[in-house]
Amino acid sequence: MNRVIRAFLRRLMGMIVVLLIVATLVFIIVRVTPGDPAAVMLGSDATPEDIAQLREKMGLNAPLIVQYGQFMAGLLRGDLGQSIFLDQSVGQALLSRAEPTFFLTLFSILIATVIALPVGILSAVRRGSGFDQLVVTVTMVAASVPSFWLGLILIQVFAVQLGWFPASGYGGPDTPFLYRLTHLVLPAVTLGIVNSALITRFTRAAMLDVLGDDYVRTARAKGASERRVVLKHAFRNAMVPIITVIGLSVAMLVAGAVVTETVFGLPGVGNLVVSAVLRRDYPVIQGALLVVAAIYVLINFIVDMLYVAADPRVRI
Amino acid sequence: MKDTLLLTSCLALMAGMAQAGDGILTVATIGEPPTLDAMQTPTDIVLTIGQHIFETLFTYDAAWRSVPLLAAAMPEVSEDGLTVRIPLREGVKFHDGSDFDSADVVASLERWMAVNSKGKQVAEVVESLTADGPNAVVFKLKSRYSPLLATISQAAVILPSEKVADELTEFVGTGPYALKERKPDQYTQLVRFDGYQSPEGEISNYAGKREAVAGEIRFVPVPDANTRVEGLIAGQFDYADSLPVSAYERVKSSDTATPVIFENTGWVSMNMNMKEGLLTNKDLRHAVQLALNPQDMMLAAFGSEEFFSVDASLFPEGYPWHTEAGVARYGTGDPEGAAKLLESAGYDGTPLRILTSRQYEFHYKIAEVAKAYLEAAGFKTDLQVVDWATLTQRRGDPAQWDIFITHSNFPGDPSTINTITDSYPGWYVSDQKTQAVDAYLAATSDAEKVAAWQAIQTVIYDDAPLFKVGNFNAVSGISKSVGGYEPTYWPHFWNVTPKE
Repeated sequence: MNRVIRAFLRRLMGMIVVLLIVATLVFIIVRVTPGDPAAVMLGSDATPEDIAQLREKMGLNAPLIVQYGQFMAGLLRGDLGQSIFLDQSVGQALLSRAEPTFFLTLFSILIATVIALPVGILSAVRRGSGFDQLVVTVTMVAASVPSFWLGLILIQVFAVQLGWFPASGYGGPDTPFLYRLTHLVLPAVTLGIVNSALITRFTRAAMLDVLGDDYVRTARAKGASERRVVLKHAFRNAMVPIITVIGLSVAMLVAGAVVTETVFGLPGVGNLVVSAVLRRDYPVIQGALLVVAAIYVLINFIVDMLYVAADPRVRI
Repeated sequence: MKDTLLLTSCLALMAGMAQAGDGILTVATIGEPPTLDAMQTPTDIVLTIGQHIFETLFTYDAAWRSVPLLAAAMPEVSEDGLTVRIPLREGVKFHDGSDFDSADVVASLERWMAVNSKGKQVAEVVESLTADGPNAVVFKLKSRYSPLLATISQAAVILPSEKVADELTEFVGTGPYALKERKPDQYTQLVRFDGYQSPEGEISNYAGKREAVAGEIRFVPVPDANTRVEGLIAGQFDYADSLPVSAYERVKSSDTATPVIFENTGWVSMNMNMKEGLLTNKDLRHAVQLALNPQDMMLAAFGSEEFFSVDASLFPEGYPWHTEAGVARYGTGDPEGAAKLLESAGYDGTPLRILTSRQYEFHYKIAEVAKAYLEAAGFKTDLQVVDWATLTQRRGDPAQWDIFITHSNFPGDPSTINTITDSYPGWYVSDQKTQAVDAYLAATSDAEKVAAWQAIQTVIYDDAPLFKVGNFNAVSGISKSVGGYEPTYWPHFWNVTPKE
């Protein structure tokens, strides 16, 4: 038990160090990138004098070390700062975008795994068959399809022609929660299809690796049913790489399915980061990237824990 | 085009019959406004939304003349032109229920003169701004200033005096719609202001009677242009702003929506750096002008002549400022002639740095064609493609560029175009310009102003601070179930009947 707690604390310390490095790097990158929030705020009529005045007012002319100190002191207090453009704190901005991003991630990964696991397993079991060749071809195509193109096709068919789902957005001020979720169907299917291709290919490869192993042959020789051999003996042992790729997919979706959120006009975390970068909203860029990095690290930690559950031989 | 005009006329007729209801208009915009403070950030998206909430003393009619909005009548101007008394409408209320009066006007315009770029220019000639009783204000000027009305017709919005602050925290105006909720990147929700007092008069551009027919307007940011198109056709949006010209036919052939073309929305210019670098040499600026072919540049950018026009006059036809005065080195492009100018100017092969952005794809396409023509004339070019935020920063540093590409609308008063301002990037400072502008500012009649503007345009063509590429039209789309919409530069939705 002590060993597990020690390992856990070691990982926690590692995570804090990673996040400190990320915070510092993001601060530096944002400041060295050309562009000026004051110029964006004032519009194209602004003269250099107007811009300089507003920069002073925003505190952007303070020495970088002072700005860095303020940023880090804010982080220690749990304060990610105030958005320059959104009239709300970075924390509030992120919270208000969390709902669409959370459910989009959940639905996308559900769709992807529901498709990918059975198809990948079946494809491996029937290696070389027509079905397997079809799966290999289709997944290769699906993995290569740009998500913005797939999104626009789905909008044209299911929003414009059939009128089944909304084309864009996340509902209005009085939209009930369940109806808001219907706005996520098309983007979730878009991301689900793209991610399912990757997970299917990993599942197939992982299953092929283990299906030829001695313990599988032994299980068959002992008269176990094919279903038991595949699902209990082979699949369980193939789960580590599959969990890895599912974990990575989840992390990338949380980090912001930027293109898909933009195409579908979803007010999620990815959209927030993109508009913050375009406007040079420094506090939002810093805060959002830090939170995304934290989630990324956390998901990797959870994936590591799942390795242990899936395969007792794995030690943390 | 005929279809559009016919539709617009029918819709305008229907507007007269419109009845206020509870319908909702959903407007897809190109993005989230950075703020709703139109004084500080007078960008198109902020002004488009803001004009429903806030009103100015004057506004523009179809001929871009300033006519009363919150003012009760045109101002009384003293004989020496230095005292301008503006009477105010009575009985107007703000969304918070307070009465509109001269104290609000004084407080609001003082803030405008402190934070707005154009307001700061006005502040330089204003000696004092005072209330003259509750229903009038008086400007005392240091010198004659003919663009005063045109300048306060845009972004000089009137707020309740007690809400005026450095940073606006409450957005309260006198407009036909009040702000209910703003959820950044999701929607800005405006609701009908039941206490609205409309100005009287025939509808003309932004002037005339205003009625909040729709109970609610929702401005929804949809950054992807294709999604705006599909959402409009699917019926999710009632109006979609700034559509790509390539979507025109698709919207036109749909059963649910129709395209709207707003002619002469703006103009594209290549602004030259007169403070530092290669183009401080006037002959080289003339060579740039001579080399370029505006027709090819606009065609590459907008695809079809339906969406642009090539016109040397700085203001398009229909404006009182349209003139051919002084036009030179504008037409079909003459790289050979430009090459001779380069030789006589002693051009040493230093690369010409052209700063542009793909955030506005037409800027980039224009830059590509310009590069080809300039190289044909013998210039070495260095095309620098950056994002818009970077461009707006870099252009403030004269050491970093020679030409930057931008676009502007046609302001109500010609003397307010950015190029004329000494401190605008490009730093166009010239004695003959100052003289010509001073003559314009001192003009006392429309005829004098037109003549003075012709002199300014002549000087601009001689000094060559920019190359005017051409005028472009805006394409947007509107649902066929919506009535009463009249295209304007900043699309407005009062007098518009939503679908049932």
